[in-house]
Amino acid sequence: MKRPELAIGIGTLLLGGLIAAGATQISSDAGYAGVGPNFLPLVVGALLVVCAIGLLREVFAGGFRDMEEPSGAEHGDWKGFVWVSVAILANAALITTIGFILSCTLCFVLAVRGFRWSQGRVDWSAPTWIVDALIGFAIAAPVFWMFTQLLAINLPGLTSTGWL
Amino acid sequence: MDTLNQLLQGFATAGTPINLLWALLGCTIGTAVGVLPGIGPATAVAMLLPITLKVEPTASMIFFAGIYYGAMYGGSTTSILLNTPGESGSMVTAMEGNKMAKSGRAGAALATAAIGSFVAGTIATVLVTFFAPVVAKYAIKLGPPEYFMLMLLAFTTVSAVLGKSTLRGLTALGIGLAMGLIGIDQISGQARYTGGVPELMDGLEVVLIAVGLFAVGEALYNVLYEGRVVESQNRMSKVHMTGAEWRRSWPAWLRATFIGFPFGTIPAGGSEIPTFLSYATEKKLSKNPKEFGTVGAIEGVAGPEAANNAAITATLIPLLTLGIPTSNTTAILLGAFQNYGIQPGPQLFDTNAALVWALIASLYIGNVMLLILNLPLVGLWVKLLKLPKAPLYAGILIFATVGVYGMRQSAFDLVLLYAIGLLGVVMRRFDFPTAPVVVGMILGPLAEAQMRNALSIGEGRWTVFLQRPGSLFLLVVVLAVLVLPRLIKRFRPPMEPDAMTRV
Repeated sequence: MKRPELAIGIGTLLLGGLIAAGATQISSDAGYAGVGPNFLPLVVGALLVVCAIGLLREVFAGGFRDMEEPSGAEHGDWKGFVWVSVAILANAALITTIGFILSCTLCFVLAVRGFRWSQGRVDWSAPTWIVDALIGFAIAAPVFWMFTQLLAINLPGLTSTGWL
Repeated sequence: MDTLNQLLQGFATAGTPINLLWALLGCTIGTAVGVLPGIGPATAVAMLLPITLKVEPTASMIFFAGIYYGAMYGGSTTSILLNTPGESGSMVTAMEGNKMAKSGRAGAALATAAIGSFVAGTIATVLVTFFAPVVAKYAIKLGPPEYFMLMLLAFTTVSAVLGKSTLRGLTALGIGLAMGLIGIDQISGQARYTGGVPELMDGLEVVLIAVGLFAVGEALYNVLYEGRVVESQNRMSKVHMTGAEWRRSWPAWLRATFIGFPFGTIPAGGSEIPTFLSYATEKKLSKNPKEFGTVGAIEGVAGPEAANNAAITATLIPLLTLGIPTSNTTAILLGAFQNYGIQPGPQLFDTNAALVWALIASLYIGNVMLLILNLPLVGLWVKLLKLPKAPLYAGILIFATVGVYGMRQSAFDLVLLYAIGLLGVVMRRFDFPTAPVVVGMILGPLAEAQMRNALSIGEGRWTVFLQRPGSLFLLVVVLAVLVLPRLIKRFRPPMEPDAMTRV
């Protein structure tokens, strides 16, 4: 039995159950329609539970059927994955305090490490860090200026000048 | 004549310098995202949705349509020159295009793809011009029961018919519908599944789902599994077609246009089926069948590329006249309309005639721009293929941040973005289709409203869906779409194994 597929089946079952359980908390006041705001949630919950049962049946019968062979390596490169994950989450945590440009530059530098790691070409020397930071800045800054100056859409800055 | 008048007015609007500039910008960005791996038209339009906050609707719809179109042109360049297709509609082009490029005829393949896209795109735009108003005129007679059935049909085809497994398609649809439930119920004003988190009261943004599934999901998938994949690039040759190649290409373009167009108009979108059909047709009709799969047959590139563009253009008919999206990108375009408080549907041709006709006119203009951008300037785009992967994907993460943060100014959304990216990785790894998620999320709330309105008309009785001939007919179609393929499979076991697996 394939464990990830089992996990997907169970996850779908939980999601369906959660949605169906949540539906009982929603009013069923129907007005003229005969079905209220809780109707579709019940249907979606039921759909997911039925799908989950179908998926689990396939898992116990040897795995998902009619699968397209996934592209790429058989096993994931989790170290590279952690770098990219940290990059995205750090960006989420820091964007309002250090501003869009710096936060995205940091995200870029961390993510590039992750992608290079997965390609087996990571280079820890100081110049590459600086070059990556410059490239990240060169992408993030014009994007920021285009949004804040040209389109007048708010993005968080370190200062309130709209330039950094 | 009325149609021509309105089209001329559309040209007047679309032809202003500022709108031409938006069209050119859209076509350029579109071609670039089509060429670049890791980012497609759906993602690009989604990331740029924040501009709907400030830019006026006509300009931004022209811009988005340019991206949508441009990506189709650009995608063929990648699929001919690299051995990985840039976007799914180009998968078939890659089969023959690659073979041609390997035998030193990359230039001819690129030329027939671009000119074929232009021919098919233009003919399809003419058809849209004349058919869309007619469809709108009939669609205006449809009531909530018929609309609900049409949407049900869209759900069924997107999840159950396209893709390899009905079960995984329906699971994806369920996830999309569940995402659409979050937020305030349109009819009763009740909050559902917000868990008291104020950020969830307004529901999830399309940008978040699309960018999460496609951009972040793609980046995470790449770092996890594709770091060591080595790509080989085919050599360019002069972009030129000989007389013989012209003679072999043009019938394929025309046939493919008429194969592709009908598939785009029915709510069963996706360009995979018409491109495969066109490929199979060309293979059967060709006078040089030995070239298929060996040195590369030019018909095998000309046909599918034209079918792809015709189908893509035709998807605008259900989008504009019924408000029903049949693909990822049209679902996001619907989101763009909604951001302006415009609901596409039959009334659109009356209430927003100027916008619709400017959009259609811009398709004619865009096709010409794209032909120029993709033939003489193709060398420029080929250089994009040389960009190293690591900074490319890291850069996509920056654009993802702008798109999602710019929409709602919420750092919470960036955490959700990561979570949805993870979902995207799992879905891609285990072959779950993504279109049902996006279509379900956007169309789910609309379908729910139509269903409840229909039931109100029927005073709470479900038989309302059976009593009206239109909705009964559509219900039968839905059932047929679900049942027929299964019956055919059962009663006609292994029919041409080669045709079924590869085509």
